[in-house]
Amino acid sequence: MEKVDIIIGIASYNNAKTIGHVVRAVDAGVAKYFPDKKAVVVNSDGGSTDGTPEVVRNTAFDHSAIFLSHPVYPAHRISIPYNGIPGKGSAFRAIFERAVEMGAEACCVVDADLRSITPEWMELLLSPVIKRGFDFVAPLYNRHKYDGTITNSIVYPMTRALYGHSIRQPIGGDFGFSGPMAEFYLKQDVWETHVARFGIDIWMTTEAIANNFKVCQTFLGAKIHDPKDPGADLADMLLQVIVSLFNLTEKHFEIWKNIRGLRDIPTFGFRYHVGLEPVRVNVERMLDIFRTGVKDLKPILIEILGPGDFGEIDALIGHPDKDFRFPIGLWVRVIYDYALTYHRKKMSSEHLLKSLVPLYLGKTASFIMEAADIDHDGAEAEIEKLCREFEERKDYLINNWI
Amino acid sequence: MEKFSEILFQPFRDFWQWFVKFAPNLMAMLIIIIAGLILAWLIRLVMLRILRVINFDTWSDKVGLTALIRKGDVWAKPSDFFGYAVYLLLAVVFVMIGLDALQIKVIDNLLSQFLLYLPRALSAILILIIGYIIAGFLSRGVLIAAVNSGYHHAKLIAEAVRLLFIILVLAMALVELTIARGIVIAAFSILFGGVVLALAIAFGVGGIDAAKRIIEKAREEKKEEKGRDIEHI
Amino acid sequence: MADFYQTGIIVTLHRLGRPSLERIESEMVEFSKHRPIALVLPALYTEFQAPALQGIIDELKKVKYVNEVVLTLGRATDEEFKKAKEFMAQIPYEVKIIHNEGARIKEIYATLERNGLWAGEDGKGRSAWIAYGYTLANARSDVIALHDCDIVTYSREMLARLCYPVVNPNIDVVFCKGFYSRVTDRMHGRVTRLLITPLTRALQKVVGFHPFLVFLDSFRYPLAGEFCMITDLARVNRIPWDWGLEVGVLAEVFRNYSPQRVCQVDIADNYEHKHQPIAGNGGKGLVKMCVDISKSIFRTLAAGGIVFSDGLFKSLEVTYLRLAEDTIVKYEADAAINGLVFDRHEEAKAVEAFANAIKEGASTFMENPMGTPLIPNWNRVTSAIPGILAMLKKAVDEDNK
Repeated sequence: MEKVDIIIGIASYNNAKTIGHVVRAVDAGVAKYFPDKKAVVVNSDGGSTDGTPEVVRNTAFDHSAIFLSHPVYPAHRISIPYNGIPGKGSAFRAIFERAVEMGAEACCVVDADLRSITPEWMELLLSPVIKRGFDFVAPLYNRHKYDGTITNSIVYPMTRALYGHSIRQPIGGDFGFSGPMAEFYLKQDVWETHVARFGIDIWMTTEAIANNFKVCQTFLGAKIHDPKDPGADLADMLLQVIVSLFNLTEKHFEIWKNIRGLRDIPTFGFRYHVGLEPVRVNVERMLDIFRTGVKDLKPILIEILGPGDFGEIDALIGHPDKDFRFPIGLWVRVIYDYALTYHRKKMSSEHLLKSLVPLYLGKTASFIMEAADIDHDGAEAEIEKLCREFEERKDYLINNWI
Repeated sequence: MEKFSEILFQPFRDFWQWFVKFAPNLMAMLIIIIAGLILAWLIRLVMLRILRVINFDTWSDKVGLTALIRKGDVWAKPSDFFGYAVYLLLAVVFVMIGLDALQIKVIDNLLSQFLLYLPRALSAILILIIGYIIAGFLSRGVLIAAVNSGYHHAKLIAEAVRLLFIILVLAMALVELTIARGIVIAAFSILFGGVVLALAIAFGVGGIDAAKRIIEKAREEKKEEKGRDIEHI
Repeated sequence: MADFYQTGIIVTLHRLGRPSLERIESEMVEFSKHRPIALVLPALYTEFQAPALQGIIDELKKVKYVNEVVLTLGRATDEEFKKAKEFMAQIPYEVKIIHNEGARIKEIYATLERNGLWAGEDGKGRSAWIAYGYTLANARSDVIALHDCDIVTYSREMLARLCYPVVNPNIDVVFCKGFYSRVTDRMHGRVTRLLITPLTRALQKVVGFHPFLVFLDSFRYPLAGEFCMITDLARVNRIPWDWGLEVGVLAEVFRNYSPQRVCQVDIADNYEHKHQPIAGNGGKGLVKMCVDISKSIFRTLAAGGIVFSDGLFKSLEVTYLRLAEDTIVKYEADAAINGLVFDRHEEAKAVEAFANAIKEGASTFMENPMGTPLIPNWNRVTSAIPGILAMLKKAVDEDNK
């Protein structure tokens, strides 16, 4: 197979509506920023029935519309169906395979349902690899202060506390990475596990930082994508993300138990604030589920948290809605206790993580009310406090990891 | 006179003859029982060794088996306890086999019935244990799912699921034991059907208001101001 | 004690004027409705044969605010346990005795040990710890008070004053330690006077400012065996099972709570209990105690980031000796003005023995910095063995039937 310099992977499944825009942005970006590199767009498709691969092949982009001169090597496009367990992970595996076969120097992956992608994203995701020798480029987005609550209240602080890298969006979905990084991913024996289905994002991030690859972040602006399937169940989402997080925690115990402190990682891109759509929240309903959950799941929660922390949570349900606050220290103990219970395999992981939903909603409701009157930076400061708490209590996790 | 002595001694002679015929059986019984008890004891020792090696005790502590036997005020180590239970079971079996060696008809019958029944009894116990575990698992899954969808009577539903399942398991165990099969099946059908009907009515009647509220709420929610939901990830 | 000086960074509650026992007890009855109190009494069977315990029981009979008494009995046969039970039946409210040598509790210890949670050797630390476990399992009390069973001069005022700061919701203290002067015709409390205080101050000179040293130095009687705490503390504390117990408890309190929520209270004008003779090197008695105490202090400081070296220990020994000798001079004057007996030679001998104990503590610490054993906290135990509290409750309840 002929050698290429850059591979841009797009995993898709029934994204005919949006993927055209993504492909055009990618094309323009590569042509503008890497005119002398050979680039291939690899669309790894999970058997779409709406003609997604055709859209990829047929999307026309008139280079003369924005460029004075044509690029030396216009980006090729290939669309490949992948085999194996259906899921984003398997799609990425096919992309990694191509990257290794074609000897690509730099790669990136972007979501197929992005509406806010611009040609600059190519520069932002690929240059750190090509020009600065980084192995892994994590994204940074401007998000509404209420968005990304699973990331903000669990995944980001815990990953940061465990591995000492402050990657703000460990499950962002758009990443840049080097050829050796792709090779490393491909060699891991995870492609028959849950990683093949979901959790590939947190897996890529964690493996990169846990194995001491050179990691950086890049600011991409806003991330707006097609509204997710409204039927997508929060419990399933939480289950998938946290199972991935806990499995990695399990795997890398020997690494993270010795990590102390925080390493700053370089951040590229120009930071700016963008206007964001308003977000609708229903705090009452969240608190309602929190309260019934604490009452009805009492025996399960006691088994996980122990009577002491459960007592503290139980005491919260008496607070009226407007004064309701979930203490961050307690939240950290909750998450660490869940991680420990998962580690000890005392309970089916599905039951375990789904029983976290009411507590998570309580914590989220509390955060939304705290953040109601503060700006973006204020909300970030709150998250920073939470991270410190996770770091300070890390010993608890280590000492009880038996 | 001779006849009288004949009459007098005949029973003794008969007894002697019976005894001579029966003695080997008695000996066999004693040997089987004693050897069996020794064997059972040895098996117990081997089992104890194995249980120690696989850390049965700590496993039992962690899954709560120890706490369960402590509830019955048993304070031996779990491995000792189970070793002893196995010993007792084996001892009973060997005593039975020993009695069989006597070749007394009544005991024979009893024994064969017992042996025939043993596998059924064991499988009934197994059904009960597994059923109990599955019932707990199922009802917990239902409980969590119901809570997460914001249903206020989650506990009730979960208990109902557990109850129904346990009724089913009990019926299965009874059928396995072949105790009055017909009655069990009839009773089960009536009970199970009755519980389902009762629940349906209870939810129906009690749920009219709830359903109304839910529908109204859903309608209101649709009318709510535009905007997207928060993204959790 | 007539002064009202606030010592150090914790809250000090003095005995001022003539506080009325009736008033404090009637307040306690009210408070204890919201924060029920469990009284934990560690006792050896030999103490049942001494007169002090009968005096304590006589006082406790009149107390109306204690929710439950948990006596944790060491070194007793089954027969002796029964006798102890009969003896304790004099108390009109709920009393549970933990039979540490009984088959059931022994099995609890064995269960812990096979799960890698060793609760230490038999001793006051382990006995108190198991009693906390039972109190947690019973879940009937929010506050735990503890005192020894060899106090000859016991009065129920001690208990009331000890518990008051913790149960009074307006004071909101999580941990309260008793203090008192130990004076008869002479001064007692040599370990506190001549070991802990000079050692703490010597450490402050040698290693410089460290918050734990300031905290420790704030206590007027760090070795007092009387304290009261909220049950949550019993849940998170890891306590040493050897003589480092008292210092270890203070270290854990320091680690988990702010000093503003810690207090000490003057509980008695006069206090007397049985004394320990100073024994030879490595033997039982005071010397062993002093070794354990110094190790416990070193370990706490090491955990707080202080680096110990041979050189540091050498200058520590010299500094300690100097400070301890100065202290003797101070106490000699104190004895003179109060007309107390003061055997300067005995005091100097004690300081010598303590200096050796510090040396020994230092060398064992250097050999094995993690050497001071800690009993795991109950949170950890319950997460490793989910049914352990239920087992413990069952064991104690069965024993007490």
